[in-house]
Order: sequence, then C-alpha cells, then structure tokens
Amino acid sequence: MPWVSLLILVPLAAAVVLGVLPARERRAARGVALIGSLATLAISIIVVALFDRDMAVMQQVDHLDWIPAAGVSWDVGVDGISLWLVLLTTVIFTLGTIAACQRLPERRGPAFLALIMLAQAALLGLFTAGDLILFYVFWEFMLIPFALLIWNWGGDDRRGTGMIFVVYTMAGSLLMLVAIIATALTAMDATGELSFLIRDMQGVAFGEATSTLLLAGFLIAFAIKIPLWPFHGWLPRAYSQAPIVVTILLAAVMSKAGVYGLLRIGVPVFPEGIGNLLIPVAILALIGIVYGSLLAWRAPTMRLLVGYSSVAHLGFIVLGIIVIDRMAAQGAVLQMINHGIVAAAAFAVVMMISRGTGTGDMDRLGGLAKGAPRLAVAFLFVTMAALALPGSNAFVGEFFILGGVFDQYAWMAVIAMLGVIYAAVYMLRMYQGTMNGPVRGVTDDGRAAEMGARDAIILVPLILMMVWIALWPGSLVGATRASTDLALAPAQVAEGRPVEQIGVLPARAAMTPATDPAERP
Amino acid sequence: MNAGAALTLYVMAAVTVAAIVLAVVPLPASARRLPEAIGIAGIVATLAITVTQWGERQVAFNGELRIDRFGLLMTWVIMIAALATLLLGWGEPAAAGRRREFTGLVLAAATGMMLTVMSGDLITLFIGIELLSVSLYILCAMEVARERSLESGLKYLITGSIGTALLVYGFALLYGVTGTTSLAGIATRLDSVGGLASDPLLIAAIVLIVVALGFKASAVPFHMWTPDVYQGAPTPVTAFMGTGTKAAAMGAFLLLFTGATSQASGDWRGLIGALAVATMVVGNVGALLQDNVKRMLAWSSIAQAGYLLIGVAVGTTAGAEALIYYLFAYVAMTLAAFAIVILREREVEDGDQLTAMAGYGRARPWAGVVMTLAMVSLAGFPPFAGFVGKFLLFGSAVDAGMTWLAIVGAVASVISVVYYLRVVIVMWGPPADDRSTVRRLRVPPAVAAVAVTGAVAIVGLAIAAQPMLDVCADAARALIIP
Repeated sequence: MPWVSLLILVPLAAAVVLGVLPARERRAARGVALIGSLATLAISIIVVALFDRDMAVMQQVDHLDWIPAAGVSWDVGVDGISLWLVLLTTVIFTLGTIAACQRLPERRGPAFLALIMLAQAALLGLFTAGDLILFYVFWEFMLIPFALLIWNWGGDDRRGTGMIFVVYTMAGSLLMLVAIIATALTAMDATGELSFLIRDMQGVAFGEATSTLLLAGFLIAFAIKIPLWPFHGWLPRAYSQAPIVVTILLAAVMSKAGVYGLLRIGVPVFPEGIGNLLIPVAILALIGIVYGSLLAWRAPTMRLLVGYSSVAHLGFIVLGIIVIDRMAAQGAVLQMINHGIVAAAAFAVVMMISRGTGTGDMDRLGGLAKGAPRLAVAFLFVTMAALALPGSNAFVGEFFILGGVFDQYAWMAVIAMLGVIYAAVYMLRMYQGTMNGPVRGVTDDGRAAEMGARDAIILVPLILMMVWIALWPGSLVGATRASTDLALAPAQVAEGRPVEQIGVLPARAAMTPATDPAERP
Repeated sequence: MNAGAALTLYVMAAVTVAAIVLAVVPLPASARRLPEAIGIAGIVATLAITVTQWGERQVAFNGELRIDRFGLLMTWVIMIAALATLLLGWGEPAAAGRRREFTGLVLAAATGMMLTVMSGDLITLFIGIELLSVSLYILCAMEVARERSLESGLKYLITGSIGTALLVYGFALLYGVTGTTSLAGIATRLDSVGGLASDPLLIAAIVLIVVALGFKASAVPFHMWTPDVYQGAPTPVTAFMGTGTKAAAMGAFLLLFTGATSQASGDWRGLIGALAVATMVVGNVGALLQDNVKRMLAWSSIAQAGYLLIGVAVGTTAGAEALIYYLFAYVAMTLAAFAIVILREREVEDGDQLTAMAGYGRARPWAGVVMTLAMVSLAGFPPFAGFVGKFLLFGSAVDAGMTWLAIVGAVASVISVVYYLRVVIVMWGPPADDRSTVRRLRVPPAVAAVAVTGAVAIVGLAIAAQPMLDVCADAARALIIP
C-alpha cells in the first residue's frame, strides 16, 4: 500500500467531503472530521511500524511522474528526520480536530473542519516530499487554509493579520522558488538530467559561491517561517489573532516547517554554503533565543508569552542544526517533537484558562489554582517541560543540542544557556501569575477554568507523550540517527571536521542508493 | 497551395458574415438566438477542424497563411475565449437590442485574432491585428447609452490607432532591411547575412514593433488606456479583450521575435525583458489601489502580460512553450473571474465594485469557490495552473541566463498576493451592511458553465500539465521551422 501517499490523500479527501457538506450538517461534519483525522493517525502509525531504523535514506517512497519534461514528480517518503514529525502532525491534528469538534459553535460548520483537514494534508505533504517542487507546492499551499482560518474566525484584527501572515511568508517563499529552479538547473549542468528530487541533488558539487547564493535563497524562506530573528514580525499577531485551536496547530506543527526545511534541504544539498553561513545564522538564532526570551518575560498576554517563547525555542533548534554536529542535530530533531508537544499543551492550557475566565491578559489573572486544582497540576507539568527541567522531555533535547554546540563552539553554548535560564523566568511567571497569588479576574475562584473530561482528552495524551519521551528518548533518537548523520556528513566534510565526528563516509552520502521507482513492485 | 488548409478561415468568415447579415434582417422572436447559435456552431466547427489539421505545417495563399501547430494551438486559446465571450454575453441585459451585432463583432474579432496567429507574412499579420482592433473599438462602445462605454471605445480607438501606425512603420522598416514581408523569408535573410543583426535600421524596426505590440498587449508604459477601457466596456467584452486580444498579441510577439527574428535576438532580448520588468512592477502596484474588481482585473491583466512577456524575452522555444501553457492557464483564470463579476453585476447595481462582493461567497458558495480558485491561481499559489505556468516561465528565464527576470517576477507575485487575496477575503467576509444588496437571481446557466469550466481547467491544467506541455512544446517548435 502507498501508505505515505494515503497519509496526504486521506485528509485531503476528508476536506473535500467536508467542503461539500451543507453548513447545517454539523453532526455529519464532526463524524467525517474525526474519522478523517483518526484514519490519518492510524496510517501514520502504520508508517512508523513499517519504518526501518537502520536505513538512512528516504524509505516507503511513492514515486509518480507529474511533469517529466520539467523534472517534477510526486515523490513522497519518510526518513528519520521526517518520521516523528509525521506522527506529531497526525497526533496534534487529531487532538485539534477533537478540540474543534467539542466546541463547534454555530459558525464553525464543516468549513472550519475542512480547512483544518486541508492544512493537515499540506503539512504532511511538506514533511514527506522528496521533490523540491512538491515541497514548495505544500509549503505554499498550507498558507491558504491557515490564512482563511484566521480571516474567518480570528480575533478583531483578523483581516490585517491574515494579510500580513500571507504576504510576509510569501515574500520569502517566492524567492525560494527562484532558488529551487536555479538549483535544479545548476545541478543539471553537473548531472546532465533535469530533476527536482532532493536525493538527486545531494552530492552535486555546486561550488562554494553558487552553493552559498542558492542556500541564501532558501534561507530567507526558512527564516521567515521558523521565524528566525529579525523575521518574526508576523508571529505575535498571527498567534494572538488566530482562533486558539489554529494557534495550537501553528505553534505545534507549522513552526516546524522552516527548521525541517533547513535540515532536509539546506544542510545536505548545500554543504559548502552551510560553512559560509554557519556563523551568521547561528548569531541570528542566538539573538532569537535571548530576544524571544526577554519578550516572553514581559509579554502582556498568555498567548504572546507562549508565542515569544516559541521564537526562543526555535532558535535552539536552528542552532542545533546549523552547527553541523551529530549530537546537536539529533537533539534538534528531538526538540522539534518536544516543542510541538509542549507548545500544543501550553496553548491548550491557555485555551482553557481564556475560556473559563474570558481573558488571556496576565495582569487580570491570578489564583486560579484555588478553583481549578486539576488544571493547575497539568499546567505545572507543562511548565516544567517547557522550561526543560532535568527529567523532562525538553531537557533531553536541549541537553543534546547544548552538548553538541559546546563541542563545536563553546561560546555559542554559553549564550544559548541564557535561554534556558530565561525559560525558567518566563514560564514560572506565567504559572505563578495565573495560578498562584490572590484570586483575580474571576468571581468563582477559577472553577469555570477547571479541566473537565473534555479538556483532559486533549491535555492528557500530550502529557503522556512528554513522559514517554522523558523516559525513553532513545526510542525516538534511535530512529533519527542514521538519517541525521547522512544529512550532516557532506557539510562536515566540507567544513573539515575531524573524521571521528562524522557519522557516515561522505562517499556513501554521494552515492545514495535512491529508491528506483522502476524496481518497486 | 492547399485550399483545404485555410478551411478554418472560410468557416469563421462565413459565420461572421452570417451573424452580421442576421443582425440587420428582422428575425422572429423564436429565432432571436440564431446569430449566437451560428457563432457557437462556427467556433465549435473551427475547433474540430484544427484538431484534424494538427500535424506538419501546411500553407495557404502562397505562404500568407501558415497552418502549423503553433497557429492551431493559439487558435484554440482564441476560440475558447470567443466561445466563452458569447456564453458570457448570453442574455446580457446591457447588450439587449444589439445582441446580434455583438455576436457578429465578437466573431469578426476572433477571426482577426486567428488570422494574426496563423499569419506567415507581415501583411496578413497586420490585417489580422487590424480586424481584431476595429471590431473591438466598436464592441467597447456597444452600450451607447452609457457614457463610460463610449469613453472606453474612444480611448481604445485613439491609442489603438497610434499602435497601428507604429506597427506599420515597424513593418515597413523590417521590409526595408530584409527585402521581404514573409516571416520565413525574414528569418532566412537574417540567418544568411550575419551582418544584419544590430543593423540600426533593424533595431529601429524592432523598437517600433515592440512598442506597437506593447500597446495591444497593454505592456507598460503603453498600458494607460487599459484600466479605463476595461472598466468602461461591457464586461463580456472586457473578458474577451483580456483573454483573446492578449493571446493574439502574444502570438504576434512570438511569431515576430522568437520565430522570425530569432537570429537577431541579441537586439531585442534586453528590450523586451525591460518591458516585462516594467509591466510586472507597474501592473501589480497599480492593481493594489483599485476598489473596482473590473479595474483591478485590468491592472492584473497588465501584470499578467508582464509574466507572459518573460516567455518572449528569453527568446527560446522553452520560453515560448511556457508562454503558451501560461496563456491557457491565464485564459481559464481570467474567464472564471469575469464570469463571477458578470454574475454579480446582473444582481446588483455597481456589481463590479469590490464592496458588492462582500459576503458573496457565503450567499453562493460555489461562486465563492470559483472566484477563490481564480484569484489564488492568478496569485501563483501552488498547485494550480497559474503556479505551474509561472514556474515554467521563471524556469525558462533562469535557464536562459536571465535570472533577474525571474527574481523580479517573484517579487511582483508577492505584491499581487495582496490584491488577489483581498477579493477572497471580502467574498468570504460578512455581507455589506445593507443586507438587501445580496440579491439572488437564478444563475444564467451559460455564465455558470463558463465559471465552472474555468475552475475545472485551473485544476485540470495543473494535474495534466505534462500532456498539455507536450502539445505546447510541439507548438513552440513549429515557431522556429523556417
């Protein structure tokens, strides 16, 4: 079975069905959306079960020519880098769909769920694309559902926010399209064949100047999507104006698109360019860690606080990738998953508090633990994970990243450590400000915000996943190692890193045995 | 000489004359749709004939007319536009009472466009362009009771005449340089006498022709007439101008540059590239400021002409191939958008204002989906046909070493997102304060058919890109056969 293709087509089909449902058929809409997301989740579990942990290259590849004359094809598969992101996407979207279905107000008929399904299809496509044009197609296409969700169901300033979100992101990505075309045409000069397959481009020697220039074209798009300081302008507005369910999806899943692109395309395809841009990108990531943390510390609302903390956390992930160290890269992949779970849980808590109290302003909240003890416990758990307390899942990821960074550039690790300290400051501020202290902003001690069974369905799975990763990080890292080693190897060689640091021989990296579609049964 | 080769021309000429004659003959009420029916039958017959003629080049009238894959495929674009125009005008209240001459004029213009793209000679090319222009001057002024329509026709007449004059000058100079009016002859002459490239006279001819065709294709800085004319003309006519005229002008560009003077491409690549850049930038920025959807689509058509010109500027068959593909995509997107505008115009006063679109997506979801598809694809969002076309055009530019064209195109596309998506936002947003403005009439089936077909084509052209590109590549190769 072409499981990976089904992963994209099932939510797409669900979106189409939801799209043609009349607006009043809310019961049917719920059913279709839940079945669609659960089926996608099941398929992703099958993909994980079939995954071969020792294989470094893309596996379970489905290949179909789309525009052969232009070298464009439908080519999807998974490897160690994308595997857990795929599972993260299906899990978070399933929970998001449940959350959306639970409180499906009048206006959020089938259309709302259809757009969520479309966004899921686009993100799953992005994480599995093996062809640069396909990657670009999904990269751009996901903007449409997200923008429409913000426009139709966002806060007071939804129009302007949606427009800024789209234009900001598109500005980067259209330049990426030019870079993609230029990359393929330059590679064609070397290989004699026009192909947009990422695996065909790996191992092509672009030359240092070309490699740097092409990488810069990609990096602008990635930096905006991540967002890397100073390209984060769209984030606070989008995160605070989007419907909260959409904010969960944006922060937990969409924010991984940029860092994923960096590790999937940036590092392996342009090893020489990475060497030149390593320090500048690392500096931007470090500024993002410090700056994002400081903004989170002083953020006026809970949504902004979690949003800015994402800037800092993603700075960590970028740093883990860009220093091209094996341990740091494994940590970066692990941290992508961790941040996805923690950000989803944090925004879910924000959702419950805002709904129970009618406000998300830090100044107007306090003492909720009195009326909502269960929520307080869950929130405390999420807080500890978010500030990477030793023993939490995020600690493992940050430890891997900081250890790897320290091996390569000790000074970067020292600055990055600031982010770990700040994280304690702002996360505890959020917890204490809302849960402890005198009761403020509510008349019922916060009982309305208490976590009920419906909320638990969303929050408990996320907390269980945190515990799982905290206890058995090896179960995730073991599957990513081969692929991250392979992705880093050419860049490590180009940088002249000692041989013992390099995981795979670059010779093997160059002759990657791409799955030949002709050989497939 | 092969008389059968020119069959399409005979058919179109016959139905045009028939439609015009029927316009002056009093008809019983039961036969009032006769001219349109004849026109549609003629167009369908023409499309069928072009399919049978698909193959190696045939010539008619001593090479004045070349029936090759390029001309045939471009005829498809034009005839699709003409067919859609007749359908969009079906029952158009504004054209009431003059409907029969409307049909005749659309058919005459379509014949002129077909003549242009099938021409094998400067004279035929000129006749084709004139035939289409004169028909459109009248079509623009069709709504004689409306001042804007008259103004539109007059403006188009004046600027169009300037373009025509320059075109004749350019052709005369080209004839002076090469000593022949045959496109094949010009190519051969430039090929054999290497010294002719960069000849001052040749450059003067090229500049004049570029300017003249720039008027027809509404390229910047010869675009000033476009917004006024597009806004003032009856909307089906605007749709026809935006698609058919654009296709004919681009066909002329390809025939004269990528085809006939490709040996002197060093003389014009930079010039047309600069034209493309100016057109993309000014067109997209101009569109940002519009509150009227028709006017916005006019500016957008200017901007789109800029993208199309990339395919000419690169001077390669790959560029021509991308251009032809994008023309099909562009025609589908534009016709779908205009169909929705026409639908709205018939329902409310000033239906072409952006505000009239408020909440329309909620009132008529299928129309909202069609318009959203058209706008999103025009903005170049993947995976729709507009994206595939832009991707191919930018790719041809990078391949030809004109990466700067692709970068300007990419930046211009970002600007375009703002005004295209504004339509989408307004459509799906809340209805305007006065709820009575959302009036729902029975949807004219002909208009709905154009809208839905356009939307299907936007998706279909992207999915079936490869077979379509194979056809486009055949057409592009036919250009350079002497």
